[in-house]
Amino acid sequence: MPTGPTTTAVKSTSRRTEPTTTTHRQTLGRAIRSEWIKLRTLRSTWIGMGAVVLLLVGLGAIAAAVSTGSVTTPEEGGGFGNGDPLSTVLTGADFAVLLVGVLGALAGAREYGSRMILATIAAVPRRWQVVVSKVIVLTGVVLPTALIGVLAAFGVGMGILSAGDSATVALTDDGVLRSVLGMAGYLTAIALMGLGLGILLRSVASSIGVLIGGVLVLPTLAGALLPASLDSVLKFLPSSAAAAFTTVRGAGDEVLGPTAGALVLAAWVAVTLGASVLVITRRDA
Amino acid sequence: MIELQQLSKRYGDLCAPPSRKLAVDGISATIRPGVVTGFLGPNGAGKSTTMRMILGLDRPTSGAALVNGRPYVDSPAPLAEVGALLDAGAVDSSRSARNHLLALGATVGIGPRRVDEVLASVGLTEVAHKSAGSFSLGMGQRLGIAAALLADPAVLILDEPVNGLDLDGIQWIRALVTELAQEGRTLLLSSHLMSEMQLVADHLLIIGQGHILADTSMDDFIEHASGGGVVVASPDAGALAPLLAADGVTLTSTEAGRFEVHGLTADVIGDIAAGHGLRLHQLAPRAASLESAYLELTRDSVEFAAA
Repeated sequence: MPTGPTTTAVKSTSRRTEPTTTTHRQTLGRAIRSEWIKLRTLRSTWIGMGAVVLLLVGLGAIAAAVSTGSVTTPEEGGGFGNGDPLSTVLTGADFAVLLVGVLGALAGAREYGSRMILATIAAVPRRWQVVVSKVIVLTGVVLPTALIGVLAAFGVGMGILSAGDSATVALTDDGVLRSVLGMAGYLTAIALMGLGLGILLRSVASSIGVLIGGVLVLPTLAGALLPASLDSVLKFLPSSAAAAFTTVRGAGDEVLGPTAGALVLAAWVAVTLGASVLVITRRDA
Repeated sequence: MIELQQLSKRYGDLCAPPSRKLAVDGISATIRPGVVTGFLGPNGAGKSTTMRMILGLDRPTSGAALVNGRPYVDSPAPLAEVGALLDAGAVDSSRSARNHLLALGATVGIGPRRVDEVLASVGLTEVAHKSAGSFSLGMGQRLGIAAALLADPAVLILDEPVNGLDLDGIQWIRALVTELAQEGRTLLLSSHLMSEMQLVADHLLIIGQGHILADTSMDDFIEHASGGGVVVASPDAGALAPLLAADGVTLTSTEAGRFEVHGLTADVIGDIAAGHGLRLHQLAPRAASLESAYLELTRDSVEFAAA
């Protein structure tokens, strides 16, 4: 238990010989460094990133083991993977999407909850720099983590499949490397959409709600409830656009091509982040 | 130097009818360097709104707030331009005090050496690695002041700086604020503790209902407040009282042989008494306090007065 500070000495902070406004300029690089310090000094960042890797590898390994028959589920046969080795080993991706979405929303809305945003905006009043810095720092943490996670899940999962004499695919097979890297990109994109929504809505809870609703619930609901004629619209939803480049499957009318899918997802990210820049620069902090 | 130029703020700009009351209504003032300016006003008078507009946190509806000649948001080195303590609770509670300051300092290239120096100067060295969420109100306040001092700014805006501090901390702030002003910095200080403000402020900016009620030196403000009566006790009160009566002079008697005079100085009363050979047992000027002067000024503009 710390006893209260007891100093009464006033240490002069005077260094008034030289105006500090010329020696201490605020730059975008420094704003990025500030955001990096903020992100890395939160334990939740590293717990979250560790959990993303664990989820991807762990669930992928379990799904692979189940599909080889070396582990049986109560309702024999299991629903994992549907026989596609790649989607089997990336089973954890759906949960990882939830997790990075939450981490992104936290990165955007957390400071509104603590009111730390006041200090942040006072220190970096060109507010677009705050958003850009958060985007760069979050990408710098989530993208490598997601890459490690999906590659490890791929390696571990394929190892288990191969040990169980099940069908496997190699990274060199057609479209496999693209799908694996695409999954890492998708996870990063979701984190960035969470960040944008967090800044827009200023609430962790509501930004997570909107993100999960838009990414996971809406496509399923809409696919089930809307007439098939609208499928051509549904393929532009973020999750459907991502499916176009994170899975290896025959192209059909209801799915975009890999490149188009990546561009559509990038557009979703750009719109969300662009809106957050517009809003944060216009409203009162 | 802070300049407020016809500064106005109406909240809910987009959908509010023009008739909606202005939180800040066209205030103009100059807050000068080298002195401590006390910023006073009842709750809801517009103090916080004004401070937020100076820092570019809220956008003025009209008018401008300039810091060292330009809007704060145009400063090349914001943290080195203005150090502000607006809300000591506005820290991420799971981050350590030191990391909090490192993150803020990084925006203007301030590193661990200066951060540790400032932590020491506010007396938080021992708890530098503890999470800000575990801090007491007073420690949080010291952390907020550390953040304000971090980049050695020439302008400091401190909202309720002694809030939650113990006597030791209050004396520390008092000395610090005085010293910072003597170094030629601009200090804008709000506090609801009048006795505290009377001790540290040289100049007063008082607002009520979004308007400036007074922009004056502390000495003038108190001197011109009508609270400063003179208590006279005299066995010859019956004879003295009529001699003092004049336009603009009021006498109020509380007990026999004792009354209070407003409108005449003790010197004049003493001379009159001596001139007529009347005895005085007591002649005591009652100095008005900032508190009484302030209450008198703001009586009509207290927005949330008790019913």
